[in-house]
Amino acid sequence: MRATRAQSRSYSTVLKTMLLPAGYSVERWSYTLQRVTGVVVTLYFVLHVVETGNFIGGPGVWYVPSKDFAASYYEQVKELLHNPIFDAGLVIIGWMVAFHTINGLRLTLAHFGITLGKPTRVDPESPPRSFSNYQRAIFWASIALATFAAVYSVDALFGVLSG
Amino acid sequence: MKTVRFSVYRFDPSSDKKERYATYEVPYKTGMTVLDGLLYIKERLDHTLAIRYSCRMGICGSCGMTVNGLPRLACYTQVKEVGWSLKVEPLRNHPHVRDLVTNFDEFFKKHKSVKPWLVRTDSREQESPTSQYLQSDAELEKYIQFSYCISCGLCYSACPVVSSLPEFPGPQALALLYRYLADSRDQSRSERLKIVDEAVGIWRCHFAGSCSQVCPKGVDPALAIQLLRREMMRG
Repeated sequence: MRATRAQSRSYSTVLKTMLLPAGYSVERWSYTLQRVTGVVVTLYFVLHVVETGNFIGGPGVWYVPSKDFAASYYEQVKELLHNPIFDAGLVIIGWMVAFHTINGLRLTLAHFGITLGKPTRVDPESPPRSFSNYQRAIFWASIALATFAAVYSVDALFGVLSG
Repeated sequence: MKTVRFSVYRFDPSSDKKERYATYEVPYKTGMTVLDGLLYIKERLDHTLAIRYSCRMGICGSCGMTVNGLPRLACYTQVKEVGWSLKVEPLRNHPHVRDLVTNFDEFFKKHKSVKPWLVRTDSREQESPTSQYLQSDAELEKYIQFSYCISCGLCYSACPVVSSLPEFPGPQALALLYRYLADSRDQSRSERLKIVDEAVGIWRCHFAGSCSQVCPKGVDPALAIQLLRREMMRG
């Protein structure tokens, strides 16, 4: 019998299994969101620190003492970033950072076995003990607080609520 | 007569260059399972369809496949509960052999790597037993849930970490390791913990919970993995 490993590891199958939580429980959605937000926030951080500096002052900015750099380029950076596209991006980043942080705390608790149910005899009618009410409450709290952070960001950047 | 539409993944590596989906109309009968429908196709409509099954009653774990996007046991899944139009594919994360048949070599290699048996160090007692190994209800309940695993591979197929990192042991092996670790009769705690304390070991589980959702026996591998991780942090 010849097994065709390539068939099972095609990129589309891997991506489908990794990134499409359709049909699965909220825990799987949480996994996907946690990964996506982690990658995006990391990329944002790199771009924020490195590329902004390079764009404004060229690679030479990294040799300039930090105090002089701050004094020279702060206004230029502020001017560059002050447009609606970057502001909208910051709102999304705000949502992602808040979600990733709070959901990360949920996962940390789970890793220590806290907030999970205890193993017991199998009951086909009951949901898995790992999908505990505490865990789900913290997940939904992370969504709610992230949304609050996004609304706050919209107001701070666009002045929608405060006018 | 009501019919069920089966869209079945077909691929024979000895003759096909590309996979395809063949569509079959199967007459519905009350209580029909997905496996019943596939056997009807094989007996009456297309003899070349390759499937694997054995007990037809959710015990042997042979007939795992992806039905409408989720891994399920074909014999344990009523057509009525998944819909009148079914897309049937092989299990993901397992290498394909032909049509709906997948290769379990890697899966069982990982299964074996966690030493799924009781390890005792009192060899004299083992050779000439003087007593029984009694357990309280509380001791039994620590692992009994995880001992129901039938190694059907559905959890392994649903795991997004196995998908992106094929070297990851997978939920079945990790849950089974915890099952023996939590057993009061086992005497190899430190050795067991070392097995999965690797770069691509238990720490790669990100608690997506899909394993527990698709398990047909209620084993809850995600819970076992988190409890195993707690044991590892305790040392």
